[in-house]
Amino acid sequence: MVESWIILQPIAILFAGAILTPLIDPLGRAIKFEKIRDAFAIIIFILSLYSLLGIYEEVQKQGKLTYFLSPYSPQMGGVSFFVDQFSVFMAFLFCFLGLFVSIYSIRYMENDTGLDKYYSLLMSLVAGLVGISFAGDLFNLFIFWEAMSLSSYALVAFRKYRWEPIEASFKYLVMSTIGSLTALYAMSILYGLTGTLNISQLATIIPTLKVPLQTLYLIIVAIIAGFGVTASIVPFHFWLPDAHPAAPSGISAMLSGVVIKAGVYAIARILFTIFNPIAFDFGAILMLFGIITLSVANVMALLQRDIKRLLAFSSIVNIGYIIFGFGVGAYAINVYGMEGYSIAVLAIMGAIFHIFNHAIGKGLLFLGAGCFIHEAGTRDLLDLEGAGKKMPWTGTSFSLGLLALAGVPPLSGFWSKLFIILAGFTKLDNTFMVVTTSLVVLNAIFAAAYYLWLMQRLMLRSPKPKVEKVHEVPISMVLPVVLLGLITLVIGLWPFNIMSFAEVATKSLLGLIGG
Amino acid sequence: MSSPDFTLYATTAIFLYIIGLYGIVVRRNMIRTIIGLEIVTAGVNLNFLTFTILNKDLLPLAQYFVVISIVIGAAVASLALMIVIQAYRHYGSIDLKKMSRLRW
Repeated sequence: MVESWIILQPIAILFAGAILTPLIDPLGRAIKFEKIRDAFAIIIFILSLYSLLGIYEEVQKQGKLTYFLSPYSPQMGGVSFFVDQFSVFMAFLFCFLGLFVSIYSIRYMENDTGLDKYYSLLMSLVAGLVGISFAGDLFNLFIFWEAMSLSSYALVAFRKYRWEPIEASFKYLVMSTIGSLTALYAMSILYGLTGTLNISQLATIIPTLKVPLQTLYLIIVAIIAGFGVTASIVPFHFWLPDAHPAAPSGISAMLSGVVIKAGVYAIARILFTIFNPIAFDFGAILMLFGIITLSVANVMALLQRDIKRLLAFSSIVNIGYIIFGFGVGAYAINVYGMEGYSIAVLAIMGAIFHIFNHAIGKGLLFLGAGCFIHEAGTRDLLDLEGAGKKMPWTGTSFSLGLLALAGVPPLSGFWSKLFIILAGFTKLDNTFMVVTTSLVVLNAIFAAAYYLWLMQRLMLRSPKPKVEKVHEVPISMVLPVVLLGLITLVIGLWPFNIMSFAEVATKSLLGLIGG
Repeated sequence: MSSPDFTLYATTAIFLYIIGLYGIVVRRNMIRTIIGLEIVTAGVNLNFLTFTILNKDLLPLAQYFVVISIVIGAAVASLALMIVIQAYRHYGSIDLKKMSRLRW
């Protein structure tokens, strides 16, 4: 407990960075070196990654860390922090993508004004995300949730001189606020029934409650629906295809790469930790949501002509796989009891691994799309035909990202989908699991079609007049894209390190280790 | 587990939540949409306090939750109003029907 204050380090560093950036900006203007704010943002992200490394070592030694920051005891539900392997896994991902996006933004955003606010909001966005993954009680989670949401509403509307970001941001704000208020409503009922909001306390109190089962299922549904708005589960996805394309490309990468994963994280953490999947059958609900999300978003993605809108729908598709993976895990535990844990570990490991792959892959795709848009000045796929030929580095990395998300073997996306699908096919006598998993396989094949179609358009067609004059983007923009492309390739060829991390994260989520 | 007061407050909270949602769905004026959000927030906050009628031990933390929730609600509302101002600059109107260039 003595060392536990280190939990607060990354959150404190990022919030301090967010507050200091507007103060550093006038200094940079005074010494005629305006890029000091960009350098400052990169330093802050590196520092937070370094402090996360310290937490990671501590978590490996102790299994989990807890920290109380309140005069009220944890039994009553005072402010507390809780870190296990799953939290560290997510926090690493958030800061990592934040670092790449801030490197990318040096040149991509240089024609915009108010960049001190941009970096400030980017840092408070990542601080909120890290806070969500470290929160030990539900109200603390809600506070960080709102810090994250408020930053992302403002970032979507960052280019406020155009009509599209304003419309998209208003829509996002209204839908996402209704979602978080629904989740808060569920929390208020939980607090009234149990007298605490501490996650580990709730896990011990819930099984002893003498209330109708319907009330608890109502809470589960409200949690899925509430956080599902940010996770963009169909039918709560309507804001996403507007908000993600309207934001600047770096922010699209953050939103699609990690912000929607925060919704998935909150659902998984609350459902698996508080409501024991042995007693509550929420797995089937999640599986059905996953199937609906996959199917609807796949069809919608086919109809798009706007490159960023297509990528936004493909994010919804990938959320479908992740939700389905968690659903298979919960369903297997519910139906098969102790025997189901081995299936659950496989499925949830696949889902967590897919969170990683999709964050890297979609970050890469949005940053790459940003490069094309930056050069060609259009988002229309018909005008962008052949742009990849003119920009070989961006084009090749972009194709690697497309192939990885299409699930072409040896690239990263293949392994995670394989684990989810294998877990779904372990019990061949269970019709429900076999039918739903077959639908997932069909969807995966269907999705590969439009990824390959997009790749063929960008890479193989002869360049259209609008892209006749484009050339490769500056090095600081192409570097994050190429690095992310290399990561997808390396992880595809050597997935074992990340897989074992994902496996440990799964086991700590299911309470099998570190308890 | 129930007293007349508890039922009254819990029902009011649910009704505020539903009224707010109804307002957001039906009204096409951006300011009214924000008022709808505020009504939903009020319903949720009231629900936190409702349970303290049954159990007085919950009161200190419930008050703390509600105060912070009100602060967050104010932040959301101010950001939403900023967007309304920008929308008015673009469209000369705060009617959501005029803002239908993105497919809802």
